[in-house]
Amino acid sequence: MEQVLLIRYDEIHLKGLNRPFFERKLIEGIKHSLSGLNATVHKEQGRIFVYGIAAEDRDEAVDRLTRVFGVHSISPAVGVEKDWNTIVAAARDITEKAIGSRERATFKCFCRRSDKGFFMNSEEINRELGHEMLEAFPNLSVDIREPEIKLCVEIREMAFIYAQEIMGAGGMPTGTAGLATLLISGGIDSPVAGYMMARRGLELTAVHFYSYPYTSERARDKVVDLAKIVSRYSGPIKLHLVPFTEIQLAIYEKCPPKETTVLMRRLMMKIAQLWAEKDGARALITGEALGQVASQTLESLCVTDDAVTMPVFRPLIGFDKNDIVAIAKKIDTFNTSILPYEDCCTVFVPQHPVTKPEVQKMRESEALVDFSEMIQRAIENTETVTAI
Amino acid sequence: MIYLDNSATTRTLDIAADTAAQYMKADFFNPAAAYSAAVEVERNINSARARLANAIHAQSDEIIYTSGGTESNNTAIFGALRARRGGGRIIVGATEHPSVYEAAMSMKGPYVINEARVDKTGAYDVNMLAQSIANDVAFVSVMQVNNETGAINDIPAIYKAVKQRAPMAIMHVDGVQGFLKVPFDARYCDMYSISGHKFHAPKGVGALYVKRGTRFAGGQIGGGQERNLRSGTTNTPGIMGMDAAIGYYAENIDNIRQRLMNMKLRLASNLTSISDTFINGPAPELGAPHILNVSFLGVRGEVLLHALEEKGIYVSTGSACSAHKKGKNRILNAMGVVGDRQEGAIRFSLSMFNTIEEMDIAAEEIAAQLAFLRRFKRR
Repeated sequence: MEQVLLIRYDEIHLKGLNRPFFERKLIEGIKHSLSGLNATVHKEQGRIFVYGIAAEDRDEAVDRLTRVFGVHSISPAVGVEKDWNTIVAAARDITEKAIGSRERATFKCFCRRSDKGFFMNSEEINRELGHEMLEAFPNLSVDIREPEIKLCVEIREMAFIYAQEIMGAGGMPTGTAGLATLLISGGIDSPVAGYMMARRGLELTAVHFYSYPYTSERARDKVVDLAKIVSRYSGPIKLHLVPFTEIQLAIYEKCPPKETTVLMRRLMMKIAQLWAEKDGARALITGEALGQVASQTLESLCVTDDAVTMPVFRPLIGFDKNDIVAIAKKIDTFNTSILPYEDCCTVFVPQHPVTKPEVQKMRESEALVDFSEMIQRAIENTETVTAI
Repeated sequence: MIYLDNSATTRTLDIAADTAAQYMKADFFNPAAAYSAAVEVERNINSARARLANAIHAQSDEIIYTSGGTESNNTAIFGALRARRGGGRIIVGATEHPSVYEAAMSMKGPYVINEARVDKTGAYDVNMLAQSIANDVAFVSVMQVNNETGAINDIPAIYKAVKQRAPMAIMHVDGVQGFLKVPFDARYCDMYSISGHKFHAPKGVGALYVKRGTRFAGGQIGGGQERNLRSGTTNTPGIMGMDAAIGYYAENIDNIRQRLMNMKLRLASNLTSISDTFINGPAPELGAPHILNVSFLGVRGEVLLHALEEKGIYVSTGSACSAHKKGKNRILNAMGVVGDRQEGAIRFSLSMFNTIEEMDIAAEEIAAQLAFLRRFKRR
């Protein structure tokens, strides 16, 4: 008898000829997430099996696997020889654990038989095993539609038996979609945006703007911490910390007061794109949600898009704040995001920013200052750290 | 570096640090042990206790050593309430430190919690407080000195009002900001909290005064130290380090207070000559000699703080304990300091290590930073 973790995967089965590539990336992600736990990972016929995890590490392994993109669900299972009495004995153990302290429980058996040489077919196995369980546990009853316990048997080169299915993170394996650059602020939204795109298989780099000396060292550490949390899902993130004060002050002094926010965002996008190009990324990611603040109206988004040539991914565009907060809590960035430090966007904010800027007008306002040397200096003085 | 955040914590005096080191490296014995080296340490702890008691006109057996202000405040509230039955009212000042305020709030249910209001200087309105007291009051907790504005509360008047209207009530005074900086007499309270690191002693040591006869169940339970009121191996380095700091103050007390006040007045007059600048709290000469709270309109406190930080000047935008919390400043709110005045509020807190020249340099730097930052103010 062997303890295994059985992993189902998402969406990859939709892939055609490049499916092996997606599977390979998924297995890489799984192996990476289980490093240090002495795991061996095998792929066979639409499933991935993890062997060799010590009993005391099992919960930890499952927890880590729930953060691997591309994993649909995980079932801790036992693998036994394809001998009927052995299967029944193992099924009894698992059913007993699943019943736990409940006085009564409903169940059904669910068999998959990829080894067609096995002497019973799936239906026969379901029936016979169901019978054995009813005999063994008088407090069990059958419910085909909504059973409390789903006792699963998979007949492969061994028989795998389990009754638990833990949902994974879903999405596409990390690194299957290429590389993009996240604009990360320290707020609630941008880490969630990074997570959402990583979930679609993107690897990330990130750019953060800070206003030394007017923002706190803690604000910087907070962003590094947020990137670290996102990196648990996305893999390592190269994070560029860009000093923005000089540009910000120039905007405040020389450009129309109501336009400062949207102009700041244009400049941030430009610098982010420069870093993205250096990193070899092909898109930018922001945490904007339509209409959330003045700089996130449709008009403002047109103006910020106009500042760059790369595609800008805004995975939160149709989300309410509550939806975003719920994800932030789920991925554990929320409590870090709400730490109250001034960031570069709050240091000097105009009281009534323009909400419907026009592209042409903003180009003209931006042209009031020659930013090229300032941008160059910002790039040169950027500090890059890797968040792991 | 010009350090003006001494209400957050202070630099430890050399003599206090050296004494603490001595009790770690040489005289490290557990004073509860039986051999004579330990007895010697116990005697020294007892002398320290006597000196601390003397500083507030109390007796040695009324002093319980703790780990600092938070423990003293918590223990005062929980230890006193655990020693009595039934419910009643607790009156807690609106501007109290969270270790008092939140501790009192946690007793909601068995007790009704009333907040004592402050005037616009941050001091408790003694008449209003007196009127709110009746026989059902079980516990009153007020601070000696407001940690944001330096307002000094009239503790004797409050104590008299409490004892007149609710003789069974226990009155606790949080002396963390006031101890040694402002004269205090333990006659006018039942309990008094102090914290070593606010007066150049090491961190991690403090004390709670509990008046003889006060019903008090004590704090942590264990080996029976501190007359079985606060168990835990005696923190000899902390206590002896704190004793050295108290000794230093005792020798120089008038001189220290006068110097602090001179520096504060100089800073206040320097700063008020800057436009759109307002002092929050009492007139500087009426407050504690080491705390000055000023609002600079047209700039965010945190932005000014970091601008000054770059110049090596350290100040605070509120008590450090609340700097990590989101939301508005509860204490300035209670005083009616809101909006721009709250957003631009900076607290300067001085110590005897500061100099009068530093008050001039700091003010000049602030004026220069304001001239620059106000160019970008919200328009």
